[in-house]
Amino acid sequence: MSDQTSLKTVGIRLPGSRLLEVDDLTVTFPTSRGDADVVKDISFTVDPGQTIGIVGESGSGKSMTSLAIMGLLPRGGRTTGSVKLNGHELTARSDREMRRVRGERIGMVFQDPLSSLNPYYTVGLQIEETYRAHRGGSRRAARKVALDALQRVRIRDAETRIDHYPHQFSGGMRQRIMIAMAICLEPDLLIADEPTTALDVTVQAQILELLTELQDATGMGMVFITHDLAVVSEIAETVLVMRGGVQIEQGPAEDVFARTTQPYTRALLDAVPRLGDDVATMKEVRP
Amino acid sequence: MLWYILRRLGGAVLVLFLISLFTYAIFFLLSPDPAYQICGKTCSPERIAQIHTTLGLDQPFWVQYRDFMVGIFGGRTFGTGANAVACDVPCLGFSFQTNQQVTEMVASRFPVSATLAVGAAVLWLLFGVVGGLIAALKEGRFWDRAVMVSALAGISVPNYFIALLLQYVIIVQLQWLPFPQQVDFGDDPLRWFQTYILPWSVLAFAYAAMYSRIVRTNVIDTLGQNFMRTARAKGLHPSTIISRHALRPALTPVVTLFGMDFAGLLGGALITETVFGLNGIGKLTADSITKNDQPVIMAVTLLAAVLVVVANIIVDLAYTGLDPRVRVKAS
Repeated sequence: MSDQTSLKTVGIRLPGSRLLEVDDLTVTFPTSRGDADVVKDISFTVDPGQTIGIVGESGSGKSMTSLAIMGLLPRGGRTTGSVKLNGHELTARSDREMRRVRGERIGMVFQDPLSSLNPYYTVGLQIEETYRAHRGGSRRAARKVALDALQRVRIRDAETRIDHYPHQFSGGMRQRIMIAMAICLEPDLLIADEPTTALDVTVQAQILELLTELQDATGMGMVFITHDLAVVSEIAETVLVMRGGVQIEQGPAEDVFARTTQPYTRALLDAVPRLGDDVATMKEVRP
Repeated sequence: MLWYILRRLGGAVLVLFLISLFTYAIFFLLSPDPAYQICGKTCSPERIAQIHTTLGLDQPFWVQYRDFMVGIFGGRTFGTGANAVACDVPCLGFSFQTNQQVTEMVASRFPVSATLAVGAAVLWLLFGVVGGLIAALKEGRFWDRAVMVSALAGISVPNYFIALLLQYVIIVQLQWLPFPQQVDFGDDPLRWFQTYILPWSVLAFAYAAMYSRIVRTNVIDTLGQNFMRTARAKGLHPSTIISRHALRPALTPVVTLFGMDFAGLLGGALITETVFGLNGIGKLTADSITKNDQPVIMAVTLLAAVLVVVANIIVDLAYTGLDPRVRVKAS
């Protein structure tokens, strides 16, 4: 039944199901030397109000996992396994059907907010079009939603700023705008793909605080992807460590950070530079 | 913003002044003496001297240049007494070979070149943009290959070859169109269209070929941008994603190119006009070069330069409207 449920009901949780259930997710790309699995048998769940942190180095498959959930893999990518939102299967849905889920049910925030916003349009228009794509309605109604979203992410003087272009904002403000865009329709799930990586540390902290605040207010679930262990320890209840497309370990954040038995996780933790470290003695992550 | 426009206009005036100076200097220094041309082979030194006086050619360079510039803004009279020839504002000189004011000659030919340029521009933008867009969206597949192969043909085959080929096949052999005959649109719209359609196509083919390649590259570049991924993640319809998010960034740089190319064409399409016997600026240039009618050559050269400079300003101003990042810097 769950496979063919009508799209309108994706927002309604089936009894006994979790918000997000990813089961044996595998992402395959064809290459000249045969198929390559860039993500292999990844499984995790997210409940409302909960955050899972997916941690790994570059190329570990963490971003591909998030794109696979959204059905936004680059051309040629194939997904096997299962992704369920509110108990409704998302894989194998047509692009037309997935469009209803993207933005409406799952919001997404990307790493580099400047290049992720279209430089040719005002931030207001870019938020408005999300609303209008899903709910239709007048520009006026959309503008009200956009304004509201900007205020929720604490953009000061939002009435004026709504008509500004992305390049007129600072890095942290741009990321707030990306977040406003992702949450303006109050999605059930927010996927944040390295949302703080391009920002300096004080701004990082503000963005993390904002995300936690929004989560508390709306009860949305969150998939937080990062390579920064300090960040993930602050925001996530559960941590999934990935390397080379496979899961190294998964568990409550404090367990993983305090008592890991995995040499790779240990090495990642040891790799976090601290003030006073001698550069020469820093070990490479190669367990 | 107003300050920016004024600064641009000021710069343009300076550029135009320098262009006029250099163009005049080149013609002053390098051309053979027009007096011999006017006078013919059996010519006495007295007659040569008389022509020199009439045309002001006995004056030093700076005086001649000053007279030329004064003529443009205030008109001038060549010769004195009964032989005096008036040249009205803006006087670009007098062609003694055709006994006409150069300004009049250019002005009477300009509408033909303008018609040619506008028609060709419509066709080449249409085919260039649509072709490039299709090729980009079907990258690596059949339609991409098809458009790119045609584009390669359009770029590599010379204009005059296509012009002569089309003329021979369509007009002479198949007789689908009557032989080109210059008529006004108002007098005979059908004939007008039949006359212009081939020259338009010839010009448009070459430009469309180039534009489709540029549009294709720009669209492919834009499709790979991060903001396209954002647009998809927002759940927008693919047609909105293409029309709103991909086309505008991809086409904005094309505006610069178009301004230059269009201005260049307004200054005359020498080969196409000659092949199809259209009396535009290009044909005027070709004829004047053959006859070494210097004032006319000077005028069309200057006209082409002015058109490019003006187009440059228009493009720059348009750009501030099209790209918000430029707008802020400009204001």
